[in-house]
Amino acid sequence: MAWRGKARSGFVLAAAAALLLVLPGCWDNVDINHRSLPIIMGVSKHDGQYKVFLQIPEPSPHSDKLRIVSATGDTINEIINDISTNMETRVDLLHLKIILFERSFAEEGVNDSVASFMRGRDISPKAIAVICNEPLERFFERLTKYENRSGLMLYHYFGENAGWNPQLARTRIWEMFRSIHSYTNDVVVPVIQSGSSTPIASAGSALIKRGRMVDLISPDDTLLINVFMGRGAQGKIEVMDHVDVLIVGNRIRHTASMSGNAPVLKSRLRLKVSVLETKGDLNRATIEKELDALMTKRFNRLLEKMKRNEADILGLGQLFRTVLPRERLADWRSEYLPRLKGDFQTEVILQNTGNLKLDGHEEGNGTGRKQGGG
Amino acid sequence: MAIIDQVSERFKEDADYICKRTKLGEVPATVMALGSLIDMPRTMLHIGLQTRQSVNPEQLADALAGGIGETLISPDADQLAAHLTAGRIIAAFEGSDIHISIAPAPKTLTRSIEAPLTENVLSGSVSAFNEDIDSNLGMLRKQVVSERLRALSYQVGSDQRKRISVIYLEHRVNRRLLDAIVRKIESRLELDVTSLQSLNGLLGLSKWSIVTRLNSTELPQQAASAMEKGKAVILVDRYPFAFIVPSLLWDMFDVENDRNYPISLMYSIRLLRIIGVLVNFIFPGLYVALVSVNPDVLRIEMALSVAASRIDVPYPAFVETLILLIILELILEASVRLPKSIGPTITMVGGIILGQAVVSAKLVSNLLIIILAATTIASFTVAGFQNAISIRVFKYIILILSAVFGVFGLLSGLVIVCGYLASVTSFGIPYLHMARARDDAHG
Amino acid sequence: MYPSNVIEALDSGHWIAVMTGYLVHLAVIAAYMYGLEAFKGQNLIQICLNSGKLIAAALLLPTAAYLTIAAITTVRAYSEIITLVFLSNTPLWSIMLLLVAIAGYLASLGLEAIFRTGVMLAVLFIPPLLFIVCTSFKNVDWHYLLPLADRESATLSFVAKRPFLESLFAFAGGFLFLGFVQPALAYKRKRVLQASMLLVPMFLLSVYVPLLTFGRQTASRFQFPYIMAIDTIDMRWIMFERINLFFLLSVVTFVTLFLSLLLWKVSRIVSLNKLDGKLSKFRVPAVAVLAGAIFIVCLQIPDWERVSELMWWNTYLRLYIIVVIPAAVLVLGIRRRRKVGLHGMER
Repeated sequence: MAWRGKARSGFVLAAAAALLLVLPGCWDNVDINHRSLPIIMGVSKHDGQYKVFLQIPEPSPHSDKLRIVSATGDTINEIINDISTNMETRVDLLHLKIILFERSFAEEGVNDSVASFMRGRDISPKAIAVICNEPLERFFERLTKYENRSGLMLYHYFGENAGWNPQLARTRIWEMFRSIHSYTNDVVVPVIQSGSSTPIASAGSALIKRGRMVDLISPDDTLLINVFMGRGAQGKIEVMDHVDVLIVGNRIRHTASMSGNAPVLKSRLRLKVSVLETKGDLNRATIEKELDALMTKRFNRLLEKMKRNEADILGLGQLFRTVLPRERLADWRSEYLPRLKGDFQTEVILQNTGNLKLDGHEEGNGTGRKQGGG
Repeated sequence: MAIIDQVSERFKEDADYICKRTKLGEVPATVMALGSLIDMPRTMLHIGLQTRQSVNPEQLADALAGGIGETLISPDADQLAAHLTAGRIIAAFEGSDIHISIAPAPKTLTRSIEAPLTENVLSGSVSAFNEDIDSNLGMLRKQVVSERLRALSYQVGSDQRKRISVIYLEHRVNRRLLDAIVRKIESRLELDVTSLQSLNGLLGLSKWSIVTRLNSTELPQQAASAMEKGKAVILVDRYPFAFIVPSLLWDMFDVENDRNYPISLMYSIRLLRIIGVLVNFIFPGLYVALVSVNPDVLRIEMALSVAASRIDVPYPAFVETLILLIILELILEASVRLPKSIGPTITMVGGIILGQAVVSAKLVSNLLIIILAATTIASFTVAGFQNAISIRVFKYIILILSAVFGVFGLLSGLVIVCGYLASVTSFGIPYLHMARARDDAHG
Repeated sequence: MYPSNVIEALDSGHWIAVMTGYLVHLAVIAAYMYGLEAFKGQNLIQICLNSGKLIAAALLLPTAAYLTIAAITTVRAYSEIITLVFLSNTPLWSIMLLLVAIAGYLASLGLEAIFRTGVMLAVLFIPPLLFIVCTSFKNVDWHYLLPLADRESATLSFVAKRPFLESLFAFAGGFLFLGFVQPALAYKRKRVLQASMLLVPMFLLSVYVPLLTFGRQTASRFQFPYIMAIDTIDMRWIMFERINLFFLLSVVTFVTLFLSLLLWKVSRIVSLNKLDGKLSKFRVPAVAVLAGAIFIVCLQIPDWERVSELMWWNTYLRLYIIVVIPAAVLVLGIRRRRKVGLHGMER
């Protein structure tokens, strides 16, 4: 018994000694204040050479500064390495939240970069992919001028609890990667540029097919895409000829079927709205009709764009998985999507009309309707 | 007489040795005693009352035998000396071999029953054990008024003799456990028991064990509830603690006084203690792991604020944590040693000045102070001072591992601690024993 | 590793692969336990030794070899994964040293301690694991569930292919220990079968969550699909960011437990159960030597390719073990029951 106890404690002591020997070489042990944690990375490609921008917050007890670092090279990893060598802290891409592609680079195709981001362990696949409409230097310069704290402005711009709006697309790197390899999914990536009075302005969304930007769509269409994907459209204001409404709820239902060789999609969108502004006389029927017409027009316009570019950004192919066998789905984009017939209808529920009643006692415009009693 | 002279020779350098010729009843006798242990006047009064009519030693012996006396026939000097040091008074008679050892009226050398010193009771009985083993046994008997309470008594030690009692409820106790204890004690009666370490040695338990195998308590109700669960209680003379054998992991969280609250509160408080233990283990290691090795686990806002708080700190997070932990241990140890008058002053010095100044001097970051304060407080949420010390030791292991390996080291440290706890057994009952041993069928 | 094998094996209908693997496991365990029950109070080694030298050699040697190689591949693979996922600068040998040292320490404590540690670790780590598993559903697109099956999976033609056979490692390694626990612990057969049913949802989840999140095309490109799937979850209200780290590490703690069990089993086989009584003081050094040997072998493996090769070789051994050992135990058990039955009748 005593022998065994001694042997066991010998084991433990040996392990402890090994640990102590190991201690001087704490390999991964780099304190957090000796690391640089960039939040935004901008990538552009000119003449086959990559240029990478990193926006690095430099925390200090009294103020936070932002530093923009850039370098060029042949591959992104090489550039990061160079930057890290030249900086006095270790650059860690662990907290990267936004990856900004310059538009020219996006139009060329970001396939390889996205694949390398996914392969490497240091960039989180949750990073949001964004396309920048202007040269990256200028964008970062203007951004830094506005930002004086921690550099999280662009991050919060897309944050669901912060500045995000259903008219902005929000796509993460892993979704881009999925779209490159999937049979049926393509993504839209938000396009931004520096604004005139705000630091960031949205310029619509880019249609990305297999890693290349092929088209630009408007913010309204982006809203439709978000609605289709089931992301809430709450808080979005729709403007029509006679009335502005606030969307307070949405639900969409699809029915997919095949007629002959052409897929047929019936979608019913149920929108709950609340009236914001009215111009002139209105009643419920008018509002509903206008909204329905608006939505359908938009949907058809979007569908046209999708067919033209053979890009399935609404994920319609997913809906046809019950109808088409999987092997045929491989040709979804080229064969079936162009032949898709879409039937889109909106059911509008006027949830409330705000503080005022709808049937007007508008100033001077009355046609003898009853006076509001309060 | 020869024996008396031998005994007097033994004690001739002791100032408290009394050897007088007196009359007990009608019989002349020599009375020997150690005056520091007995109250002489009262003793003589009592003996006088008992022995008024005796005319010879035999009658005296008869008179006293029924009460406070014990007759010794032809004892030797060693026996007499043993009786004297045990605090009895010896009466010897001329021309007779009879010696009587009489239980005297003792001096009050033990404090009265007071409130416990190391345990606090909020709603329950506040009487704690004190140093006298008989009063402790009495308190236990009063707490458990049951005719099935058994108290075995042993006299152990060769250099210093101590009384030890093993107390149990005969219908509840784990028989295997009891037999093992009794066997161990009876085979080592000559071992001296002067401290908890030697008690561990007597019972055959390892002295090196970080985790205590004997759960010590000052409260009779705690000991009583332990006996109800089938454990045995050991009382040692001059120790104001009852030692509950075996000690289990759950004893850290289970205090008998919890049952004086409603059940939902009781469970919440126990959950709080469990969280306290986990906090104590994990927090220092987590800080070092998250700050030095794996900062990608922190949220970005927190990462930036931690980085801001660590600017200008001269050494790595691991060294910083270790230094501050050692300082905290020093403060704790000092506060145990301090006399009551200086205590509050030093607390102020330690807490405020050290804490505040060390941050302003940029020697450590203030986030670390918060974390370590939370850790130290959490380590005392467990029941039992011995247990609190044990878990303080474990957190260092986890700290070192997480400094090298990050969060992986943290979890590995937890595995090692769990493994160690799983391997501790006392008398065949494992430390982690709950109800029955169930095995798992992991595929 | 298991999900990537299963996803690779099939285009769709992966649940069939999972269920097939599970049914194999169930059959094996049932046969094994039925056979073991006939030998009350003896463990596998004693049974083999009592049945003759040839049988013992045929059964025990491959088992020992299999367990050792399984230990080696486990240590090497998981250290590689750990290095890959978050500790990129720490050298491989130190991670392997830590794994082997902890497993060795646990193994030296004996079987009961291993089981109790298992219970404690379960209490500590299963709630976070369950939490992470529940949140991993956040990004799934249920459309990827269809189609449920295709011709390839329905005819079970995937069984013969390499990825599926390799995926069996998840099922096979575990059941052996049931033969070793007696006479120390007793268990009920039904309980074990019931507990093994818990495995089904776990395995289905580990395969389907990445499939539902990424789609089969993308998911088949990942080395560790489930970890990537967890990596994509974005939860704002938790104070930690990379949750897949905690998931992976909780899994690694259980792997350490598994390793210690492996070490213990091998040390028992190698010592031929004789290290009781007088020789019991050699138990701990035996485990230490074994652990050291495994560590040294692991150091020699240079890259992931070799690990894959080793796992493939081990697959042959595993097939042998899955088929032969339960069958042999079953046969021996039946024979024993007949013998005992006869005796009973004679009396």
